[in-house]
Amino acid sequence: MDTHTLYYLQELMQIAASSDTSRTNIEKFIIALRKEFVFDNVAVYLQDKTTQNLEIMYARAIGRSKTAEADAAWGEDFAGHVVRKGQLLLRDPKPDVSQDDRLHQAYMLGLPIREGNLVKGAMVFVRFGGPVYEDQHVAVAALAGEMLSMLFQRAAQTELEEELEDLKRQMQLQEDFVSTISHELRTPLGFIKGYSTSLLREDTSWDEETQKEFLMIIDEEADRLSLLIENVLESARLQSKTLPLRFQPLRLDGVLRDVTMRIRARHKNLDVNAQLESVPPIFGDGVRLAQVFENLFTNALKYAPDSPIDLLLKQVGDKIVISFIDQGPGIPKESLPLIFERFYRVRGEKTVTGTGLGLYICKQIIQAHRGKIWAESTPGHGTTFFIELPINSSR
Amino acid sequence: MAKRILIVDDEPRYLRLLEANLRTEGYEVVTAQDGLQAVGVFSDQPIDLVLMDVMMPKLDGFGATQRIREFSSTPIIILTAKGDEQDRVRGLDLGADDYLVKPFSATELLARVRAVLRRAQPPTEVGQTRFFTHDNLKIDFARAEVWRGEQPVSLSATEYRLLLQFAHHVGKIMTSEDLLSSVWGPEYRNDKEILWVSIARLRQKLEEDAHTPKHIVTRSGLGYLMPPIEE
Repeated sequence: MDTHTLYYLQELMQIAASSDTSRTNIEKFIIALRKEFVFDNVAVYLQDKTTQNLEIMYARAIGRSKTAEADAAWGEDFAGHVVRKGQLLLRDPKPDVSQDDRLHQAYMLGLPIREGNLVKGAMVFVRFGGPVYEDQHVAVAALAGEMLSMLFQRAAQTELEEELEDLKRQMQLQEDFVSTISHELRTPLGFIKGYSTSLLREDTSWDEETQKEFLMIIDEEADRLSLLIENVLESARLQSKTLPLRFQPLRLDGVLRDVTMRIRARHKNLDVNAQLESVPPIFGDGVRLAQVFENLFTNALKYAPDSPIDLLLKQVGDKIVISFIDQGPGIPKESLPLIFERFYRVRGEKTVTGTGLGLYICKQIIQAHRGKIWAESTPGHGTTFFIELPINSSR
Repeated sequence: MAKRILIVDDEPRYLRLLEANLRTEGYEVVTAQDGLQAVGVFSDQPIDLVLMDVMMPKLDGFGATQRIREFSSTPIIILTAKGDEQDRVRGLDLGADDYLVKPFSATELLARVRAVLRRAQPPTEVGQTRFFTHDNLKIDFARAEVWRGEQPVSLSATEYRLLLQFAHHVGKIMTSEDLLSSVWGPEYRNDKEILWVSIARLRQKLEEDAHTPKHIVTRSGLGYLMPPIEE
């Protein structure tokens, strides 16, 4: 073997050693291969994972008859044959084809692409009007076939590894979910049990004020428990996409006005400054969106009590942007990206009761509308929640 | 004098619940909201019993138990969530005396507190010799002190009471139920986990090699005993 050949093979090996099966990388391989192995057209076929049909994944006309690129069907029948046989095959043109029409004088060479012992596809070369493939050409092509098999095998392995990682992460999330939910459920249950058995003690008597205090705690914790269960069910339905959303044309300014009115009726002292532009209608579920807006109001009331709330609605390009601005204590920077995660609660946040599900549910609803929700905050100066909804959010 | 109990929990509603119930029994109550505060409170004033939650910010219940054990053998009851068996064992391993599983009833809480305080009382010894020896192990009943050879050994109140059971019954097999009833109280008679952990801790402290114990020996399926020393 001469140095030139060795370098040639090394280049092919290098390209095949990546696990990159993109068109660009296959192309690089084909071009490198063609330096010593001449052909007019090449096509790579792979079996579809589900249908098992051979699908063309790469085709290139390099030499004569560039128009043939469009019609990649030229090698399909032969590729099928190679896959079935599972070995390198040569096919000469049919003897009855006219000698003048070179394009019909197809000399084909097909190689199986393997993943382990399984044949997963084929690479087919064609030379129009010859020359026939000599032994040396066949050997180079066979080597190229092995290298390409290696490339696809690596890619398949990488893909499998990624799937496995993904699965592991999902399982971890599930596990975390179970442990968090049981802890969350146990907290109110512990109070209900503890305070009710205190009242039931026969060896002591509580004054009326204490009795009332304990009963109120039991009542509040029972509410917290039932809200928690409701939220868990709803977030599970949202996640599994089984919570039906009723999409219909919707005026957001109207929805926001309604919600603001309801909140004002409940909290007489709340200072809401709403600037609602008239915006084009969107396609959405009014009940669910109202739930999101109410949740943001309730959060502001809980975490930024006594702060006025600015509510803005405006159109920006082909999107509608809603902002809830409070002047409360703000959210620590490190917590900001996490507040929309299921069960996340800002560390040390114990004075305000919450389930850690509200914003998660908001995010799920907004995402179901193909929108975005996020928050910006400066500790000490307040928090702004943004919701962005596309005007054409139709399904 | 009223016993002073330190409650450590980051949930204000648990602090209120524990405090209200303990006060009806005439206990004095001090509170802390995290492990660090608890250790601080502890060094400020004498404490007779600690009720310690596990999940807390800054320093959790395990960390706080470990730190308190570095300088005190005051009984500690760990408050754990149901099902967290590992937490219970870990708490006992770190030197806690008992645990209370959330959610608990008020009467259960008070019963445990009473039982643990009772165990913490130094047992009164009647008409005996002052010293007990078993191989290289030595007990001074009058001062409730224990030595391994020349080395003084620091035991929690519960561990000391458990050791006394063996010392008073050398050569006699004690069942788990016997030990649990007499050291912890009749309501603990089926709580084998707490006994296993305590025996293991005691062996760690007393035996040359905890895996081949000489002082506290297991008789499979029967119980434990302190074997007689052959003259």
